[in-house]
Amino acid sequence: MGWDFLKSSFVFVIIVIGFIILLLAPRIMTVHNLGGYYTPKTEMTYKENIQAFIHDFQTEGFGENRYGTAVLEELQAFIKRDLIIVIPAFVLSIILGTFLGVVQFQFREGPFGKIQAFFSWIFSSIPDFFFYIAVQYALIKLFYVGLPQFNLYGNDQWYSFILPMIAVMLYPMLHISKFTFTSLENEVGQDYLRTAHAKGLRTISVLKHMLWNCLGSLLNQTQFVMLYILTSLLIIEKLSSYFGAGYHLYGSIINNEDQRTLAFILPYLLLMFMTVIFTKVCRHWLVPRKSGDSR
Amino acid sequence: MKIITFIRRHFLFCLGMFMFLILLFFTFFGEYLPGIDRDLKEIEYIWTDKKIPLAPPYEPSDDFLLGTDRDGRDLLSLIVIGAKESLMIIIAITFIRYLIAIPLAFLAHKKSFGIHHIVSWMNGFLSYIPSIILVVLLVTLPPILISETRLLYLIIVLASLEVGRVAEMFRLEFAQISSKEFVTGGNSIGVSSFRLLKKYLLPFLYGKLLISLVGDVGKVTFLLGQIGFLGIFITQVFVQVDAGQFAFFNTSLAWPMLLLNSYNDIRSAIWIPFFPALAMTYVIFTFNILAQGIQKLAK
Repeated sequence: MGWDFLKSSFVFVIIVIGFIILLLAPRIMTVHNLGGYYTPKTEMTYKENIQAFIHDFQTEGFGENRYGTAVLEELQAFIKRDLIIVIPAFVLSIILGTFLGVVQFQFREGPFGKIQAFFSWIFSSIPDFFFYIAVQYALIKLFYVGLPQFNLYGNDQWYSFILPMIAVMLYPMLHISKFTFTSLENEVGQDYLRTAHAKGLRTISVLKHMLWNCLGSLLNQTQFVMLYILTSLLIIEKLSSYFGAGYHLYGSIINNEDQRTLAFILPYLLLMFMTVIFTKVCRHWLVPRKSGDSR
Repeated sequence: MKIITFIRRHFLFCLGMFMFLILLFFTFFGEYLPGIDRDLKEIEYIWTDKKIPLAPPYEPSDDFLLGTDRDGRDLLSLIVIGAKESLMIIIAITFIRYLIAIPLAFLAHKKSFGIHHIVSWMNGFLSYIPSIILVVLLVTLPPILISETRLLYLIIVLASLEVGRVAEMFRLEFAQISSKEFVTGGNSIGVSSFRLLKKYLLPFLYGKLLISLVGDVGKVTFLLGQIGFLGIFITQVFVQVDAGQFAFFNTSLAWPMLLLNSYNDIRSAIWIPFFPALAMTYVIFTFNILAQGIQKLAK
């Protein structure tokens, strides 16, 4: 366990360094007038850029943004807004996803399960940005008809986070549900199930046993879920004017603010790192070591 | 009668094919249809009933089925005419991705040149950092930003981003097939690596290759949509806008480019990002259904 933790930390550090190297490629351009032709050229070489970055970092840390606020200070406010979406989306997509998968598995032969499978397939094909715009468009049309109006954009209201959260968690949830369904289906026909049924266990207790055995493969998906949530958060925050860290991260990349970009990406990378560690800990404590001889 | 049984048995495949054919029809013949404005005429303003000039964008109405964009161009015409470019970019990205990934997978399987380490590091990197951020970082590099062949670079960047994932998938397949006896037989009579790949390994994977290729078209479309929303141009010109002031302007008609201004559009003229996004969703659906259909057909 300790060795695993060290290894993951090492990988994390390497990834941060790799990101910084990519980030510091010279980007700022000035336009030169060469005999009537205007040609843009980069201001600094790669090496100069890295030296400048190290120097700036040593003297002023993450620095200030364009309006003179310390980056770390603004980051605190923004990241809090992000976490309000990310954490519930992560937890809910895993819990609801597993639940949906179990329900679909339980009713897989009846019409209910078939309908559910159909809908979960349809919704997992819809890109989140389209889902979000479609919901907004529909709500705007409904406001005309007489739905009580509420604020669709921004982050001022207490409910502002709900719509972005649903858009962000839809796909990961369905992914988990599909995954749960498949791994539950793989368990069918194992000896321990026959024993459990023969002993007269209720269906719900049998399902609990099966789920416990699927936990290992389900935990493999947590990193994917987190990555997907963070990726689509960037887009959805822009569409919903929900000004969190993701929105500002993109802005600082475009404006070549290297230190600020690093400051804004680090929480994202840390979230990924925490997910990896969380998964490792769960696997260590929760997943049954030996479940049947057939594995 | 045979056709009906075939359709009934392979419903998903037929539905996917049907949707695909509709897509192809609109892509290649759409511009000749009535109601499609081939010149993409711009409208400065129109007079309302009360004789007040009204500037675009206009809402979806009888005159403009899907509304217009901010230049007054008919959105339906824009989508139909942009289809060719959009599909070309999508298909090019997918094909280049697989053209790089399969040799890479074979080299990783053979463990030559340390490719397997590169592939696994690439996957590790991408499982930490949102791919869209890497796209932004890569395409804003000056050599790509001001290049004349920017579209080509963009396609290569987007294709190579997920090369690692595809390569890893095929590496596992290769490893599985390689444990079969006929591969050992081939190795023992000393076939070359290329022949081993071409005649021994790949023929067993053509089906899987096709399915994952078709399925990836949907993923690429999704990625392109995200790029559009972030406001990254596909092709652009570099223009002087004022004394010493320069700016990039979009020159592409592809669907993602209609999403460029979505941050403002979404609060005033939501139909401008809505319908291109709908078109992209249609493409994603078509290829997802087709991939599932082919998978069932192969069984």
